[in-house]
Amino acid sequence: MIRRFTGFCIVIFGVLLLTFLLIHLVPGDPVEVMLGESASLADRAVLRDDLGLNQPIIYQFGHYLNKLAHADFGQSIHTKTPIIELIKTRYPATLKLAFLSLLIGLSIGIPMGIYAALKAGKWQDLIVTLVSVRLSAMPAFWLGPMLMLIFAVWLGWVPVSGMESNASIILPALTLGFGLSAILTRMTRTSLLEVLSDDYIRTARAKGLTESNVIVRHALRAALLPIITIVGLQMGSLLAGTVITETIFSWDGIGRLLVESIEKRDYPVTQACVLVVALSYVLVNLLTDMLYRLADPRVKFAH
Amino acid sequence: MKKLSFMILVFWLIAVLVGRFFQLNPNQIDLNAILSLPNSIHLLGADDLGRSILARLLRGVEVSFLVATVVTIITMAMGVFIGLIAGFYGGKVDQILMQVTDIFLAFPGILLAIAFAAVLGPGLTNLMIALCITGWVSYARLTRGQALSLRNRQHVQAAESLGASVPRLIVKHILPLLGSILVVEATYSLASVMIAEASLSFLGLGIQAPNASWGAMLRDGVRYMLVAPHYVLVVGLSLMSLILAINLGGDYLRDQLDVRTEK
Repeated sequence: MIRRFTGFCIVIFGVLLLTFLLIHLVPGDPVEVMLGESASLADRAVLRDDLGLNQPIIYQFGHYLNKLAHADFGQSIHTKTPIIELIKTRYPATLKLAFLSLLIGLSIGIPMGIYAALKAGKWQDLIVTLVSVRLSAMPAFWLGPMLMLIFAVWLGWVPVSGMESNASIILPALTLGFGLSAILTRMTRTSLLEVLSDDYIRTARAKGLTESNVIVRHALRAALLPIITIVGLQMGSLLAGTVITETIFSWDGIGRLLVESIEKRDYPVTQACVLVVALSYVLVNLLTDMLYRLADPRVKFAH
Repeated sequence: MKKLSFMILVFWLIAVLVGRFFQLNPNQIDLNAILSLPNSIHLLGADDLGRSILARLLRGVEVSFLVATVVTIITMAMGVFIGLIAGFYGGKVDQILMQVTDIFLAFPGILLAIAFAAVLGPGLTNLMIALCITGWVSYARLTRGQALSLRNRQHVQAAESLGASVPRLIVKHILPLLGSILVVEATYSLASVMIAEASLSFLGLGIQAPNASWGAMLRDGVRYMLVAPHYVLVVGLSLMSLILAINLGGDYLRDQLDVRTEK
């Protein structure tokens, strides 16, 4: 556990360092790139000073860490709004979207996976597996527009984009949820099939339990354990997927903030968005890991 | 499945060659045809500037393949090199290198590529650089894992005890055994690099106008979805067919070469 925690700290430090270095990768003078060539010398000097670009790089990094420790991400170059405010308003929308997608993914993926495992080798299994394998390879920017075309443009059931009505979340959540459900279907199927061939399942059957009892009370409990890890890992692609999905559906979350900041060359905002998303992912993974240890006593002994 | 994959790939190859043969111009503007439906002049209709969607689609697939191939080769070379060093030497070197890959993996999906592409500025070269900087990690992990186990194989230890140098051990005795698993990984990676390229172009970070790319076309297609739904549909279906074909091809190779992967 301690080793795991040290690793976690190193990763956090690396993430901070890498996001800090981003601004120094801008070819040429970052100040000129951000403000445009027509900016006055005085404006440039102010921004350079604000960003601390005059200082030695080690000092800049220390300063950067110190500011972050005080939850200060600096301010947007164009609107002068503190970035922390931008993130506070945008982040909840992304979380809402991510959780709903997760819910959709779980509620489609797990039943489908169980169904496929129970029908293993039959045509139903083949179809479910085929669809899920293909669906998981489909990127959000493909699925999103297709869903939009069918459900918003042709059928007119839901709004095309924006956040005005409550129904607006449906399409972006489905876009992200479908991809997730495909992966969960496959994992549930594999995991359940593996468990079903275990000795204790044979014992349970031999002692005369009904098949539904064997599946629900004995097999599923063990089979769903690995799903915790998968969900944790998939939260990452979910978070990254929100960048594209939010852009498609004009959903004002942190992903869209990131894209907007890139378009305006507002690099401090870009930096902050990347950092927040990456840190969320690292935290989710740490939590998953801990949850897994709680849920599966065998892991404790193994390590 | 194998046939389907093969057929789709051949179809795209022929389409590109035919397009080249007829010298379709992807940047030819026909103002009368703006957002027109498929017709006899523009077989798949025209985009928002009256350019032929078919011609742009064909140019886009060329660019897509170019990016995917170049990025796959470079990332594989980088990743295999780093992975071999980590797996072969073990110990501190391995620890440090794996810690670095952990840091890269802490950025979910293409987030890091987006960040790099954003600061480097848009354009084809910068897009490829961004994808290379972030793409080597999976190869490094894969190679390291394999190298760790291969290192203790008897034939490697025999060669070592006969005085073979480290480069010789790696090149002659370890690398050949990695071949098939890397081929399979590279095939899947072609598809994922294509997706990444299209994603970045979709966000406006990749290939710049007026050059054609599928990601940018999808974005325009979404923008004009209400008036010209065929635009997004054509691009979407093309992209899906190609990714499907490559992934099916990967599955086929995996089964043929008897490689066990997680995918």
